[in-house]
Amino acid sequence: MILLSIVITVVKVILLIGILMTGFAYTMLVERRLLGFFQLRLGPNRVGPMGLLQPLADAIKMMTKEDLLPSAADPLVFRLAPVAALFAALAVDAVIPFGAPIHLFGLAISLDIANPGIGLLYVFAFSSLGVYGLVLAGWASQNKYSLLGGVRASAQLISYELAMGLSVLGILITVGSANLETIVQFQAHHWWFVFTQVIPFFVFFTTAIAETNRIPFDLPEAESELVAGYHTEYSGIRFAMFYMAEYINMITASGMAVTLFFGGWSGWSFLPPIIWFLLKVGAFIFVFIWIRATLPRFRYDRLMNFGWKVLVPLAFVYVLATAALASGAI
Amino acid sequence: MVGFIILAVLSFASAVGVVAARAPVHSALYLIGNVITLAVFYLLLNAEFMAAAQVIVYAGAIMVLFLFVVTLLTAGKEERERPESLAGQRALSGFLAIAAGVLLAGVAVRYSAGPSVTRFSSGYGSLAAMGRLLWGPGFDYLVVVALMLLTAALAVLVLNRSADDPRPAAPAAPAVKEDPS
Repeated sequence: MILLSIVITVVKVILLIGILMTGFAYTMLVERRLLGFFQLRLGPNRVGPMGLLQPLADAIKMMTKEDLLPSAADPLVFRLAPVAALFAALAVDAVIPFGAPIHLFGLAISLDIANPGIGLLYVFAFSSLGVYGLVLAGWASQNKYSLLGGVRASAQLISYELAMGLSVLGILITVGSANLETIVQFQAHHWWFVFTQVIPFFVFFTTAIAETNRIPFDLPEAESELVAGYHTEYSGIRFAMFYMAEYINMITASGMAVTLFFGGWSGWSFLPPIIWFLLKVGAFIFVFIWIRATLPRFRYDRLMNFGWKVLVPLAFVYVLATAALASGAI
Repeated sequence: MVGFIILAVLSFASAVGVVAARAPVHSALYLIGNVITLAVFYLLLNAEFMAAAQVIVYAGAIMVLFLFVVTLLTAGKEERERPESLAGQRALSGFLAIAAGVLLAGVAVRYSAGPSVTRFSSGYGSLAAMGRLLWGPGFDYLVVVALMLLTAALAVLVLNRSADDPRPAAPAAPAVKEDPS
């Protein structure tokens, strides 16, 4: 029985990584096509039908490119950084429930790899480790632009993590559990938190964009100021790993937003739960791309002001209000 | 037991690495490794909240700030040995380390008769149990710690702004110049 559960877990891990990698490749294609449409052009549509084989061509290109190591770089840290970034991005997804438990051959299989009682804290723990990839890459490259990118990343992520943590406290108070499955079940039986926690949802989503370093918060890799920021010196597969980390982070952030505020896999019964989950995640990814196509980049001082003077107080006041309501003080 | 030994070796090696590494960034990396092995120790002790808090607070926040400062200060600098400013600090620290080790070993020998806790109560170390402890019997301590942290945060603000050197008002947004190129 223990052996069986180990086998099931290993299969789930392999499946999840496969899905995330494919998801990364096609999110990137969808982003490039959509950006094309937003900018009144076609986007990549030459490789295969509708450009569907473009990710494959990109993968072959990336893998066969030369893996450069700058002579001044710290070799170990330089090589460790992209792995750290990708590891943190993948690890977070282990606790997100992708669908209601399914029954196969009389076995109930939950659609997450682990379901710890501290699921929400686990997500925060591993997503906070993701910044090391950026900081270490910036430092190890021994290049001023890279270093500035890494330093920007550390300050930005620390600042926005705080607001992100505060934005989900209201959910913790209401549900009384940090278990993601419990949070989804609560929303399936009561209401979606996006209706009661409107402001925290916006704070969460804004900080999620900042944590994934997407436009308008892509200051660590601002190409008009820092060449390419922390990954200036990277090439080939290591460069691709940073890209994977960024896109998988985007998928994860969408998954977390869906799980916490949009009822996770819950939905009307004419579609299976996992389809609902994927549809909602897809909608969020579209919003991510839409925002990228619409907004210009923040200036750094405005980024800091916005994080500390707008998002943190907003989230904090809402937490206090939620706590007062939950304790019956109002 | 095997897991414990592997963890102990990792934890010990990373702790040695912190003081033995030449580059400060490497020291910081070893310290992060040490913090993470400690978190796994907490998990082995069934204290899942402590493990998560350890990673979030120490690995996710404090060490990031460490790295922020260290990377900013050491970028592009040659590594070189500086003459030691404190005479005899190596000998003293070695002595203190050995003394602390002997003390800990003594404690370990003294209480090695058998586990004093044989069974965890259900939910021990979980988020809910910690919450009940902190908001129940430990509430006074929680308030004291919160006040201490608040005082420290305010002190940082006060110390950073001396009276005779008021921080200039935030400069207006610089006029954007068109680059002719």
